[in-house]
Amino acid sequence: MNPKYRRLIIIVFITLTLGLATKLILMALEENIIYFFTPNEIKVKYGNKQDIQKKIRVGGLVLENSVIKKDGTTKFNITDRSHQIEVLFDGPLPDLFREGQGIVVEGMFQNNKLIASQVLAKHDENYMPPEVADALIKNGVWQGEKK
Amino acid sequence: MIPEIGHILLILTFVASLLQVLFWCFNIKKSDDITINVLIKSTFINFVFILFSFGILVYSFIISDFSLVIVSDNSHTLKPLIYKISGTWGNHEGSLMLWILILSFFTFLVSRKKHQISYKLLSSIIGIQTIILCLFLSFILFTSNPFERLNVLPIDGNGLNPLLQDPGLALHPPLLYFGYVGLSVSFSFAVGALITGEINKEWARQMRPWITIAWSALTIGIALGSWWAYYELGWGGWWFWDPVENASFMPWLIATALLHSVRILEVRFILINWTILLSILGFSFSLLGTFIVRSGLLTSVHAFASDPSRGLFILIILGIATGGPLILYATKTSLFKEDKSQFNIMSKESALLINNLFLTTAAATVLIGTLYPLFLDAFNGNKISIGPAYYNATFAPIMAPVILLMAIAPFLSWGIKKPNKIAKKLIFLSVITLLGGLGLFMIDESSLFSIICGSLAIWLLTGVIVDLTFQIKATNLRLNSFKAIFLYFSKNNLGVHIAHMGVAVFLVGVTGEQFYKTEFNIKKNVGDIINVGNKSLIFDKVETLPGPNYKSETATFTLLKDKKIIDVLKPEKRFYPIEKSQTTEAAILSDFWGDTYLVLGDGNKETGWSIRVYFNPLISWIWGGAGFMALGGLVSILQSRKSRKKLKNAI
Repeated sequence: MNPKYRRLIIIVFITLTLGLATKLILMALEENIIYFFTPNEIKVKYGNKQDIQKKIRVGGLVLENSVIKKDGTTKFNITDRSHQIEVLFDGPLPDLFREGQGIVVEGMFQNNKLIASQVLAKHDENYMPPEVADALIKNGVWQGEKK
Repeated sequence: MIPEIGHILLILTFVASLLQVLFWCFNIKKSDDITINVLIKSTFINFVFILFSFGILVYSFIISDFSLVIVSDNSHTLKPLIYKISGTWGNHEGSLMLWILILSFFTFLVSRKKHQISYKLLSSIIGIQTIILCLFLSFILFTSNPFERLNVLPIDGNGLNPLLQDPGLALHPPLLYFGYVGLSVSFSFAVGALITGEINKEWARQMRPWITIAWSALTIGIALGSWWAYYELGWGGWWFWDPVENASFMPWLIATALLHSVRILEVRFILINWTILLSILGFSFSLLGTFIVRSGLLTSVHAFASDPSRGLFILIILGIATGGPLILYATKTSLFKEDKSQFNIMSKESALLINNLFLTTAAATVLIGTLYPLFLDAFNGNKISIGPAYYNATFAPIMAPVILLMAIAPFLSWGIKKPNKIAKKLIFLSVITLLGGLGLFMIDESSLFSIICGSLAIWLLTGVIVDLTFQIKATNLRLNSFKAIFLYFSKNNLGVHIAHMGVAVFLVGVTGEQFYKTEFNIKKNVGDIINVGNKSLIFDKVETLPGPNYKSETATFTLLKDKKIIDVLKPEKRFYPIEKSQTTEAAILSDFWGDTYLVLGDGNKETGWSIRVYFNPLISWIWGGAGFMALGGLVSILQSRKSRKKLKNAI
């Protein structure tokens, strides 16, 4: 095969693959990004009518004395100490879930309640997810790790 | 006193390796016996010093020398011995020590290839390896000294994160590092070729086993990590597209591409520039992985250190190790002349090339998914996360053609040689895959994607078997003795077939787990029965039991199938008083056809316990597949020409 023709095939092929990949990536990014908010940001952005039709993540602390467990469903409030959001979750809670713990909840809003599909609290009792730590520091609730 | 010796050894190695790099720089054009011997000897000394230093660190962990910061932070007298030892690399400083130990070990191994590699190239390889060693030694000495002492001696240590107290995780870091650092050898080969301008088929032949061994270790390392996540985290899944997993997966994808392109180079002497680029990228991705994991940018069990100066230091190393060679690459590659004759679109090399392209594109999609949230956060403070949905939409469709081609590529021949009986093979392959796809279609739970994924697995598995069968039939060799079989297979690409079969087995597992699993939560008390299909679980009891360094709440379930007792499952919740944390130990009953996976949730005698049940069909095939892939790699190393000769003489 002559080299010119061969080069053409290769270039066309590479362009096609990369084009396809870019298209797929852009589509996937648009549809599948999950934004992270603090309860206060949600209030500021969407007011009290919380009807975000997208999966989001909310980070904050589990409000003290707000956890109610009933028939495998857990109800609790998540707070950044300036606003709080009611969360419903019917899965198993992570080992480190407790009141006052920094957690991240992933889910969708329904009737002003966050229906969680996942509750994340990871790894050790002193650990604070970085997103939550940032948010709490912003609100002046927490000064960062004491060391 | 002993830890100070370890520290001094590290400083000595640092000075010695700096001198070695200087020596190499001044003698870069020379390739005489003396130069090469000096480099080889000093490489050996580096390795021995680091080995002793590492040994001292392990010893400090074994005797629980709490005067050392990292021992008191990460160990405890009550911890079982194996976790005291594995605790050595279960922290930032110790893991870096392991890194440089493996790096100097690999350098030492390459330096022994004096008779196979030309002196000029070998001295460059040693030089580059030593520069990397220097960078990492300075990282350790200036930011992460493992031998730092405490002023006040604590009575006991803080213990190791209980999640890490696990046999799978004792082996996961060494194997992963073996893979990461192994890629430094091909990196040095590539940079060495750029420096010396010397490149030929022999270069590729010498480099290939190093890539293969690194790739095999990486495969097992990643599989162990995934297996650990599966049984230890109690989430029932095996891969979460977590940035930390991606960090190890990207070098794997690049190494897979490299493994194939270097083979093309070895046989056809084309794709020189591409192979060099992949070699550089492979190790860069290893370093990037280390950076992502260690910088504390991400939320993860791996982020031991969130000290920003450390992240910056790794970023600088990454910059030097990637930027330098890439500049060199840009200026030098026009020098290399390839064999441009005889290009055939229907050849093995073009199939491998296309797959190379797909693999690197796949690596790019993973890279974007991993880094995009970090960039977005840095630019406008928006915090986002990218979950499995992104990868299902990008990575999966890009890998599908890879699997399609993987089955066909072994049918094709190199260059312009006509492939043998390809039409017949393709017909076999298509018919069996169609039948398999139909079979999947008949299953009730099947969806479009499950049929596609399952058919791809069948396609690949059949492809491997068809190719092997035709090969054996084509030779008139009578395979009646062990020796004949052994010699026959050592002449053929058995390693490739085993590794490809591994991918097929892996895909079977993925299909089963992704599309046919059952998963539910339920609240039950002692005495209750859970019925699922023809299986039932009887909740027998919950007891509190003591462990060596934890307290356990253990539940007992009896599993029945068709009213016959199969086994007893004991999911646990463990509380570690020293570390003040709790872990969930899932009870897993594993067999060939799938796993029964039980997790004990919160609860008490009054309300009952919340219980999570998973039936994961075929899931162990995932790790079995990874095992076959790594085995294929090892077999192909054994098949290299030299060892084949040796075998022939031996038998």
